Amino acid sequence: MLPVIENDIVVKYKMMPREDFLEYATLSQSLPGVIALNCATFVGRRAAGTLGMLAAGFGATVSAFALMIAATILLNIIPQQGPVAGAFRGIRAASAALIFAAAFTLGRHNIKTVFSVIVMLAAFTAVIFWNGGAPFVILAAGFAGYFYQRIKSKKKAEK
Amino acid sequence: MIIKLFELFVSFFKIGIFGFGGGYSMLSMIIGEADKFSISAAQMADLNALDMVVPGPIAINAATYVGYLYAGVFGAVFATFGVILPSFIIVTLIMRFIAKYRGNKIMDGFLTGGKPAAVGLIAAGAATIAASVLLQPNAVLSAIFTNPLETISIFLVAVFAVTAVANIRFKVNPILLTVLAGIAGAFLAK
Repeated sequence: MLPVIENDIVVKYKMMPREDFLEYATLSQSLPGVIALNCATFVGRRAAGTLGMLAAGFGATVSAFALMIAATILLNIIPQQGPVAGAFRGIRAASAALIFAAAFTLGRHNIKTVFSVIVMLAAFTAVIFWNGGAPFVILAAGFAGYFYQRIKSKKKAEK
Repeated sequence: MIIKLFELFVSFFKIGIFGFGGGYSMLSMIIGEADKFSISAAQMADLNALDMVVPGPIAINAATYVGYLYAGVFGAVFATFGVILPSFIIVTLIMRFIAKYRGNKIMDGFLTGGKPAAVGLIAAGAATIAASVLLQPNAVLSAIFTNPLETISIFLVAVFAVTAVANIRFKVNPILLTVLAGIAGAFLAK
């Protein structure tokens, strides 16, 4: 998706230099929220102010919204009996496995230190026992990460 | 009705503003809140399967789906608005107040903890769903120690294991895996 947007924004409409676009795209990933939407709002605001931000943001949302409403309605009219019920049970098992695979893939790039292993296990345990505690867990982990980095850079400075 | 819409908006706004780590991280937060909106683990599993075929960001799809099931089209609008609003606010604040974005030490430090936590959250979301969708029809997880074979479906556990290994180890396309699991389920699942 990104190369298509980049081409439109940078080459076709000449809204901003390529470096600026890439900076927004990178920054979008480290901010909370929907990554594609963060990118759209940055680009929209830079190109045309607040109205541009609203236009780009709603543009990035509306198509997904409309398609998903249609898909949800369709899903709910499928009668879940006999072989169809069996098919759904198979699909749900695969679906759970693919969420697990997503955790694994993200972990492969981000779990490299003892600190990250501890944070991951602590977060896992915390939300299993505390339904809905995820926002607090993310905040706590974020602060832990911040202090961990500070202590690490202080130690380096002392050496 | 208005209370339902307000609940959806608040929940999804919270998910948007704490949603570090992309779509799956937010999806796992939504799994954590699903009870509140009377959404079952099976329905959350269906959502993830739909996500693969419906283009668009996972969190927006999820907000639309949960909102629609809980309170119809208006529910979908309020939930989706809740999850997208933080992006507008955060981007506005950043562009106004932070002159230099890159190498921001606070942000980098925050992500050092936030990303591993997101991995834990997503794994917990997968575990929550698996603990419910891998059971025999009408079984409850608490019976797992007294009567394991009538509680857990060996066939569905096998589907779970094969799908996970095929995707992680051999990078088999998720849509293909979902379709295969559906076909196998139609013939083999009771």
